[in-house]
Amino acid sequence: MRRTRTGPRDVSREPEPRQPGRVLDARLHLLDRQVLDVDGMPVCTLDDLELEAVDGRSAVDERIDGSVPVVITDLLTGPVLGTRVFGGRPPASRWHRLPWAHVVDIGTAVRLSVRSGDLDATWLERWTRDHIIGRIPGGNHDPESSG
Amino acid sequence: MIASDLLDVPVHDEAGAHLGWVVDLRFVLDGAPDTFLARARLHALVVSPRTRTSFMGFERSSVRHPWPVAPILRWWHRGTFLVHWPDVARVPDPDAGAGPEDTAAIVLRAEFTAYEPGL
Repeated sequence: MRRTRTGPRDVSREPEPRQPGRVLDARLHLLDRQVLDVDGMPVCTLDDLELEAVDGRSAVDERIDGSVPVVITDLLTGPVLGTRVFGGRPPASRWHRLPWAHVVDIGTAVRLSVRSGDLDATWLERWTRDHIIGRIPGGNHDPESSG
Repeated sequence: MIASDLLDVPVHDEAGAHLGWVVDLRFVLDGAPDTFLARARLHALVVSPRTRTSFMGFERSSVRHPWPVAPILRWWHRGTFLVHWPDVARVPDPDAGAGPEDTAAIVLRAEFTAYEPGL
């Protein structure tokens, strides 16, 4: 069926009621923000958000629509460069998930309550430290003061 | 479902008329307390009738500067509106791939209400 379109159509708008909690827009306040751990160390950038119905219904089992409330369950980070350039999205297995329950604060950065070393999202950094940087002479200790 | 499944998706009314594209998702932290923050409930979709994306949200804020960037972007995104999540009747299947445009659109209920998008 061919869709009908006659150009942009402005709909009449009503004032938005005041909401009972803090309001966040995904692109304005969350996506592409830096994620910091409890010590303020960078963890990753926030690439996407995992959404799930509050009744536990998942998109795999059943279609989600406006009839059921949806909440953020995880912050996602992963290999999105290719999909942002060419379209599509990474497979679900490639995402690293940071549970919403770990989020402490949302400001210019998203702050977590856990250390980055405990997160799967930083495995590549740890692997590089242990297998590459650590094998360079002098690479396994802090630099000494030159006096 | 992830946020990217909803962002940039065309929005149609029940009759199939094109209304715009989802340029952002609005969440409200009013759910049950989840350790540190309340759960973030998907409250609404921000729909722009003219553009597929939004730049820095000038159409949703009271920021008027820098001139002329803010007025131009505000004019470019004129007509942007908010649709509450319960007014969404159908969401495209993210695993269906690129299909006919009618099935790859978010469809709103017949009696949906458009709201001002201001933050």
